[in-house]
Amino acid sequence: MRRIRVGFTCLLVLAAAAACTSMGAEPWERDVLAKEQMQLVTDPVEAAIDDHIYFSKEASSGGRGFGGGGCGCN
Amino acid sequence: MDFFRARRTASGHVVLAFCALLLHAGAAAEDGAQSLDLSAYRGKVVVVDFWASWCAPCRRSFPWLDSMHRKYGEDGLVVIGINEDNAAEDAEAFLKAFPVSFAIVADRDGELAREFDLLAMPSSYVFGRDGELAARHLGFKTTKQDAYEAVLRRLLEPAMAASKNEY
Amino acid sequence: MSAKNTGNIAQGLAAATCSLLGTAATLPVLAQEQPEWEFDTALLYYGEDGGRVQDLSLNLLARRLFADDRILSVGLAVDSLTGATPSGAVPQDELQTFTRPSGESTYQVAAGEMPLDDTFLDTRYALTASWRQPLGRDYAGTAGLSFSTEYDYTHVGANFALSRDFNKRNTTVSLGLALARDELDPEGGAPLPLGFMSDVRDLSERGGTENKDVVDLLLGVTQAVNENLLVQLNYSLSDGTGYLNDPYKILSVVDPLSGDAILRTPAPGAAGPLHQYRFESRPDKRTKHSLFGQGKYFMGGKVLDMSYRYMTDDWGIDSHTLETKLNLPLGDTSYIEPHLRFYTQSEADFYRASLVDGEPLPQFASADYRLGSFDAITAGLKYGWRTSSGKDFAVRLEYYRQDGEIPTHQLIGSHDQSSLYPDLDAVILNFSFGFGM
Repeated sequence: MRRIRVGFTCLLVLAAAAACTSMGAEPWERDVLAKEQMQLVTDPVEAAIDDHIYFSKEASSGGRGFGGGGCGCN
Repeated sequence: MDFFRARRTASGHVVLAFCALLLHAGAAAEDGAQSLDLSAYRGKVVVVDFWASWCAPCRRSFPWLDSMHRKYGEDGLVVIGINEDNAAEDAEAFLKAFPVSFAIVADRDGELAREFDLLAMPSSYVFGRDGELAARHLGFKTTKQDAYEAVLRRLLEPAMAASKNEY
Repeated sequence: MSAKNTGNIAQGLAAATCSLLGTAATLPVLAQEQPEWEFDTALLYYGEDGGRVQDLSLNLLARRLFADDRILSVGLAVDSLTGATPSGAVPQDELQTFTRPSGESTYQVAAGEMPLDDTFLDTRYALTASWRQPLGRDYAGTAGLSFSTEYDYTHVGANFALSRDFNKRNTTVSLGLALARDELDPEGGAPLPLGFMSDVRDLSERGGTENKDVVDLLLGVTQAVNENLLVQLNYSLSDGTGYLNDPYKILSVVDPLSGDAILRTPAPGAAGPLHQYRFESRPDKRTKHSLFGQGKYFMGGKVLDMSYRYMTDDWGIDSHTLETKLNLPLGDTSYIEPHLRFYTQSEADFYRASLVDGEPLPQFASADYRLGSFDAITAGLKYGWRTSSGKDFAVRLEYYRQDGEIPTHQLIGSHDQSSLYPDLDAVILNFSFGFGM
């Protein structure tokens, strides 16, 4: 059973890798992807502020990357 | 063994692509009502540089390419910048900020980029006087400028030496 | 071929023709480099209603761009917090007296009011620094440090990340590690878990400073799906050990039938609480897993940003966060960006609105509303513009609301759902200014 699960996981990873290689934009077609608005984090300061607010007010934090840390709780 | 064959084929493709470029450049020049003297490429060291206004390292490569073009132009170096912008205005704005003295060819449909099968932006292909692909650079690193220049000097050398002999 | 060689391109061609023919072209002025320093600054006002927390925060992020994509980032944040925060105690039909965290005096909460600890006043300084650089053609590495300090809390952390590009840079796989050590030095000493709130100047239920260690691990894949769509998927594991309590949170000890707080009498001549309260007790270990997915989609100038996060931990908390932003350009130099965020979490296994008198004392208990079950919504709008000299301004106004629910079996006697859970309404106002030098 465990072997099947491992095999299945490997297959899934391979399928994902294969899917990744068939996706994408050619290097000369990345004008849109190079735009500022298309970056995953467009405003790092705003992202840090929001992370800190929600870290202080909710039981979940992070996920996107690493936050600054510290408390400033309550 | 296979590796070498694969490499040979790849460079064969690039040479074909280079030929396509020459024809293409002629066509582009006709469109633009400016003529490029293709015969001038014969026996020259040619750098084909693919760039775009949105490509950040191109901001570094352009001033350098321009300085190379000015420094070695007389020794037989030709630089051709192939622009991959979708809009001509973007390319023009870039050229205003980073003016260059070498030839710019627009490749709006990415036809040439596809022919050369670019792996990165910028990408430059250096052809020797014999028309063979001598070097390919992916991206642009200012720390490697001297190495890039050394390649050009090596390819230019015979004629540089010859021109010195004349004096 | 649709080459349009107009303007500068035509000039470029003309110049090229000249040089090919051996005629010297006129020398153009040397191009200026990109700015070396980039600064992002923000002034934030965060304000909760009902006299709760107010935060005025000043943020600065400076980035120095070195040759060949090497970047030094230095961040500084100063927060000035004031206001009151729910202590965890249950509202009562009579006046309640609490000993301040310092143990030096008492404060009172009127009958029917949500008990808030109003001694909350703090200034927090946070500093971050990181260095990022390519490692060869396909790899990039980041190393960073973080430090923050407030009067009762110090954080020191280090983080490392390594990423590798695949598939003509359409795929990036990253691996990150962050280590943190936090030290808590609460006023009057950290209270003993489930210790009683005692009289003024009675520190028998207090300890000293405490530590907390957190290790975060992150595995992420970023994929360009096509020319207009970028997606990211992250898995992260966070492992915290040590003192994970909030030293200022308490629970009321209540009568099993009436729900009223059990009375106590301060020692002769001493001031102190007239009801029984115990400090909270959380496990000294917490493991969180989260899955985070984000997509950015370009639609003819507009950019849609959607993200979703699922978090689960061994305290029994599950949460879902769905967030969306839509960047709408207004002409070439400005934009508006509506923002919506939905959040929901289930309560921790040991969350309880109060402790019941006569029942065996649980090992872990907390009435901290942030460990309870609640939904939250954020709705906001941002307007940004760029000046002709390349400076970026933005103003953002958001509204944040939390709506909590206490499990009905925890409502005892007079307890009433609406007055027991401290719902929250807050405003976020944020000005930002970015420039290069």
